[in-house]
Amino acid sequence: MTGPLPEAVPPVPGAVPPAPQLPRARPQPGAATSAPEGWHRLHPLSPLVRAGRQFVGLVVLLAGLSVANHRQAGSEIVTDVAVIGVALVGGLISWLVTRWQVADGVLRVDTGLIRRESRRFPLSQIQAIDVEQTGLARVLGLAELHLRVAGGDASRGGRLACLRVADAEQLRRLLLAQARSASQAMEAGPGGSAVPVRSGEVALFRVRSGRLAVAITLSRTGAIAVGVIAGLTAIAVAIGVNKATAYFLPAALGVVLAVWRQFNGEYGTTVVTGPDGLRLHTGLVQTTAETIRPGRVQAVRLVEPLIWRAFGWCRLEVDVAGPRMRRENQSEARRLRALIPVGSRAEAERMLAELLSSQPQPDSRPPRSARLKAPLLYHFLAWAGDDRYVVTSHGRVCRKTTWVPLEKVQSIRWVQGPLQRRLGLASVRLDVAGKRVTGAIEDRSAAEAQGLLMRLPDLARDARARER
Amino acid sequence: MDGDISWQRPSALLLRARRIQVGLATAPAALVGGVSGATASAVTGIVIAAAILVAGLAAERFLARRVAAWGFAERHEDLMVRRGVLVRHLSVIPYGRMQFIDVTAGPVERSLGLATLRMHTAAAASDARIPGLDKAVAAKLRDQLAAIGEAQAAGL
Repeated sequence: MTGPLPEAVPPVPGAVPPAPQLPRARPQPGAATSAPEGWHRLHPLSPLVRAGRQFVGLVVLLAGLSVANHRQAGSEIVTDVAVIGVALVGGLISWLVTRWQVADGVLRVDTGLIRRESRRFPLSQIQAIDVEQTGLARVLGLAELHLRVAGGDASRGGRLACLRVADAEQLRRLLLAQARSASQAMEAGPGGSAVPVRSGEVALFRVRSGRLAVAITLSRTGAIAVGVIAGLTAIAVAIGVNKATAYFLPAALGVVLAVWRQFNGEYGTTVVTGPDGLRLHTGLVQTTAETIRPGRVQAVRLVEPLIWRAFGWCRLEVDVAGPRMRRENQSEARRLRALIPVGSRAEAERMLAELLSSQPQPDSRPPRSARLKAPLLYHFLAWAGDDRYVVTSHGRVCRKTTWVPLEKVQSIRWVQGPLQRRLGLASVRLDVAGKRVTGAIEDRSAAEAQGLLMRLPDLARDARARER
Repeated sequence: MDGDISWQRPSALLLRARRIQVGLATAPAALVGGVSGATASAVTGIVIAAAILVAGLAAERFLARRVAAWGFAERHEDLMVRRGVLVRHLSVIPYGRMQFIDVTAGPVERSLGLATLRMHTAAAASDARIPGLDKAVAAKLRDQLAAIGEAQAAGL
């Protein structure tokens, strides 16, 4: 809940355009104010799916406790059941008062029993639409629809949970089609065609499960997990197994869960080009289908960790504007979307060709004095640019190459620290509207940085003008 | 660094505002530090209070340079803001990228008739602000920037 909204359900202006005919969408007589035929409810089973997280968690916890304690504390079970019951009743009420509608190029979601909330999502502003299924939702054949809009706080907004899978897919297509026509009509909209639009779907990439498992084991997550488990085992042996398991089981479980979450999140990653842009399917138990609209990519990053380089593997991530609406922790939300969780250089090249209209390679090295300022990063430090993109790379253990489209640049910063001033160096950074990605041209000679600062704004402006 | 750019400076009152802020931060800190140190022994109290005051005075020495480092330039297509003494920053923000512009004023700034202008773009990293503008200048600049921004607005 973002703010107290008074009983405000403003009347919908004008007539409803050719209403999206959704199968099983049930109009609510008397519920809507002026456009009764346009309002839809969510699926009746959605409270169960929403409460499902708590439910599964409680069952696991209960089972664990009863096994561990060997004594049934009746009152605790009653409490837990009560908690589940309250969650279900709350979900039921929330389902009863939630309804949604697509009209005039705007998606409206009304919710709230005591504090009514009416949210509008102009379709032309939508960055991407995800279809997400939790494990329980998959069993019941339901799916959540997540709408991503740029900027603003990462409010829960733009979430329809849950719809039937077929309905969710159809609604996603319909919204994207309307969004495309809306933004074309506006003309001031995103325009841009970093991804050539094609008819029909062409498969671009599919991750190999075996390689993914090996790669995660060899990545930092895997290394940390192995380290923690080895350490715990050593402690367990040292101080006696029974005591140790009681203390350290949660820590070990957490580590295993982190690995599992990454594996689950990246398993079966498939990228397909479609009329809406790139379609990305991921997930083993909990599946997600995302659409990355053409011209919404703010940055592309190629990551090559040390061990992966030996196998010729790499990871390709994209940054799309807008907050990820996820319940996981901060670091999870900050992670970029991996189009290629692990793949060969050739696969990455193909994907890059699809994402970028030209792929400059970082080849301009910094002056040697930069070695004193960044002894480790210097190894791969370089940049290059043409009239569309700036590409920068840095790293020693893990090589990171970032492409930033000039037409997406929000601001340009020139920075010079005390050590850089002594060495006659300066950095230029290009900010884009994404999570944390910045095109950082680090440690150039002061004269070159000065020249870049003068030239890049004009290049960016020309790129913007071209893409409009 | 300057070249042919004509830099505009914040109001001359900004230095006074910063001095007042440092004074307001230092004096109570010295008092609290001195009193709590005096519970151990009188000498400790005096030493702590003196140390805090010296730190405040040292900060004051840097203020003039820090304040002098602020500058902004309205160019044809973008606004340039420079700041910093130790780590020097220079930001270029195209007018069309400004999403919204704030004018804020804290109690000290308000008492001197100053305000801080803050420009926000869709990128979280581009944090550009101009402190210590005369209130009227800040309001005028805000309206001006908003108008140009609207005229040149670009999509994401």
